[in-house]
Amino acid sequence: MRAEDWQLLWFSARMAALGTCLMLPIGLGLAWCLARPRWRGKAVVETLVSLPLVLPPVVTGLLLLRLFSRRGPLGHWLYQGLGWEVVFTWRAVVLALAVMSLPLFVRAARAALEEVNPLFEQLARTLGAGEWRVLLTITLPLARRGILAGTMLAFGRALGEFGATMVVAGNIPGQTTTLPVAIYSSIELGLDSRAWALAGLSAGLAFLAIWASERLARRPRA
Amino acid sequence: MQDRLLASFVKRFDGAAVIEARGLELGAAPEVTVLFGPSGCGKTTVLRCLAGLQQPDSGTIRLGDELWFDSAGGYILPPRKRRVGFVPQDYALFPHLSVEENIGYGLHGLPAAESRARVAEAMRWLGLEGLARRWPAALSGGQQQRVALARALVTRPRLLLLDEPLSALDAPARVRVRNELRAMLRRMSIPTLLVTHDRADALTLGDTLWVMHRGKLLQRGPAPEVFSRPVDTDAAAIVGTETVQPGRLVRVTDGLATVAVGPATLTALAVDLEGAAEAVYVCIRAEEVILVKGPVVPTSARNCLAGSVRSLAAEGAMVRVHLDCGFPLAALMTRQACEEMSLGQGDAVSALIKAPHIHLVQR
Amino acid sequence: MATLLLALAAAVAAWGGEQAAKRHARVIVFAAASLTDCLKEIAGRYEQSTGDQIILNLAASSTLAMQVRAGARADIFFSADEARMQALEDEGLLAKGTRRSRLSNTLVIVVAAEGGAEVSSPGDLAGPRIKRLALADPRAVPAGVYAREYLERVKLWPAIRPKVVPMENVRAALAAVGGGDVDAGIVYKTDAAISRRVRIAWEAPRQEGPRISYPTALLADAPQPQAGRRFLDHLGSEPAAAVFRKFGFVVLDGSVP
Repeated sequence: MRAEDWQLLWFSARMAALGTCLMLPIGLGLAWCLARPRWRGKAVVETLVSLPLVLPPVVTGLLLLRLFSRRGPLGHWLYQGLGWEVVFTWRAVVLALAVMSLPLFVRAARAALEEVNPLFEQLARTLGAGEWRVLLTITLPLARRGILAGTMLAFGRALGEFGATMVVAGNIPGQTTTLPVAIYSSIELGLDSRAWALAGLSAGLAFLAIWASERLARRPRA
Repeated sequence: MQDRLLASFVKRFDGAAVIEARGLELGAAPEVTVLFGPSGCGKTTVLRCLAGLQQPDSGTIRLGDELWFDSAGGYILPPRKRRVGFVPQDYALFPHLSVEENIGYGLHGLPAAESRARVAEAMRWLGLEGLARRWPAALSGGQQQRVALARALVTRPRLLLLDEPLSALDAPARVRVRNELRAMLRRMSIPTLLVTHDRADALTLGDTLWVMHRGKLLQRGPAPEVFSRPVDTDAAAIVGTETVQPGRLVRVTDGLATVAVGPATLTALAVDLEGAAEAVYVCIRAEEVILVKGPVVPTSARNCLAGSVRSLAAEGAMVRVHLDCGFPLAALMTRQACEEMSLGQGDAVSALIKAPHIHLVQR
Repeated sequence: MATLLLALAAAVAAWGGEQAAKRHARVIVFAAASLTDCLKEIAGRYEQSTGDQIILNLAASSTLAMQVRAGARADIFFSADEARMQALEDEGLLAKGTRRSRLSNTLVIVVAAEGGAEVSSPGDLAGPRIKRLALADPRAVPAGVYAREYLERVKLWPAIRPKVVPMENVRAALAAVGGGDVDAGIVYKTDAAISRRVRIAWEAPRQEGPRISYPTALLADAPQPQAGRRFLDHLGSEPAAAVFRKFGFVVLDGSVP
């Protein structure tokens, strides 16, 4: 492992962490809404959230490129208003990772929220708690194991994300090259041993993330 | 200034089940009102509507001068504004909070010092000292119930709602906790509505009973009255065929209790009684009363009461005989037996009841 | 009656077989991405006139070379630089004597057609107006390698290098400039001609520019060597040369480098 490999790993981990942080509030909000019983448009939202799981990642990358390019609807606004460039920068990496890991997180978090006994929430209301307090002191704490498991899963997914990242962030060494992209590059350049070394690293990280997620998701022996 | 709860509402469910709580009124504290009926009759729904956890389809709910629900005006007050103390059937202690955090949950807006003081006071009052840091899973059933009660009471609610407060307990704990609960409810001065399907619970804990069946309120009255004079066959089916009369425990010796009921004296087994109990209800199943016409020979029955027949009522193949033995007593016999004995109104008879067939419930 | 039917069946089978034998040749051509449009036209006409089927695999020459080395089945390799071809020859993957230089090209700097940055020379690329520059990956893809070598030669590479956004292949670099997310790009003149969303801001003069050479060769493990050679010969023919010129390539005389 050379110094630049450690840099790569550190960069990938940082991007995955940022992507997960960006995704969390949105994912939690979606999971909470989808855990409510029956409302208009629920099926549509469910489908949209699951799309990145099923669509080819490059397609998702293409959509993001379209939206966030300097000329695209969102990218233009960000550039004009905040001076932020997204495509081909680290911001695009964070964006791609967040979008690709969202569906996995929402699934796990939604299941955890649905398992919370509604009686606890109702009881909290009779004790004077407003909706936000119920959410923060009762619902989320009771669902925390599942939510944490989902977060680990999302982080693992973000670490391994490739297709969408390539399209919208490119492969700029030191700026947007993540671990999976570096592996692909190495293969392209014929650096097989490096590719294998990085692949091993990637597999190791993925294993850790999944293992942590499974441990958390398992019910504590009560 | 007492707050009286007045409610009259209807709640419909898919599948045509309808819960009608018409003219529900709670007595002034410290009177405890019991909603009594079999499982599935809608008692819990009534409770949840009063707490604001479910919304009725029509009607009104009002506590004192505060309007909680009015379908005509389209008004509903959310549960967190109602200041209701709700104790659900399994207590539903928040599993991720300690005992003191559970109890203090409703005191969110108060300064920390006052909140701590109130929690400590509630714990003292309910005998929970030393359990502050424990987790709900480590408590016994009776302790959990007291924590749930403390949690509901510490917010000084205007109305207390208890859903089957004793059903989660096993038999020995049940008797003990029932008596403790009765004492506690008497000490508090909060309008209380308690829901149960257990006869002993209703008798011990309730001052006024409302009998509920299949979503409708059938009868209302003090416990002995409801039990001995059911208003119709539905109510009778629910309350059972017992004579329930107030009595006074005179003494207990050798496991036998002597009870004065009106002018009569009964001997019963002294089970399920605690310490300094004095006021009791005497419950006698009509099927277990044997009638004898004419002179009486010694029998193994400890109780032999002289009385007269007040009325007879045919119930299919059986006849219910209402007696006056110094207190109203009902006996159930076959029509054949009644004819053979040629029982008629005004006849003098003796009623034989074995000691184990007299059930005592503390009042 | 039965004999008649049998005879008919045999005739149909024979005729079908003959047709199949004629169309049977599938020639697989691995070609550089910059050749996309002209090869499609040449291949289309060839298929019509000869009945052979030409399968085109268009990507960065470095990617294609990697695929060949990994064992991909192909008949012909049409690379955008000699280095990739040499790598295959060094590994003995080429059919002897089939390597020829075919085409040359010119490097240009392109900017977006609408609202593109003001660039009139490579020196401008080092300036503050240009924040991001798209190149085909300068480590391996010929177009990027050519650009880097040229910029190194004119001593602008250190200043420009931090601004480079490496792309998969030269067409991807072109698309990036057209999309507006990079300020400029260096591609082949032939690529710039294809896209209406970019315009040429500067063209490398033939004398100063890098020596661009597109060689072809038959691969040693070609599944259809006969048909492959036929197509290679066609690529050297006048009709094919006309198409190449039409798209802006410089047709070389075909000497071995």
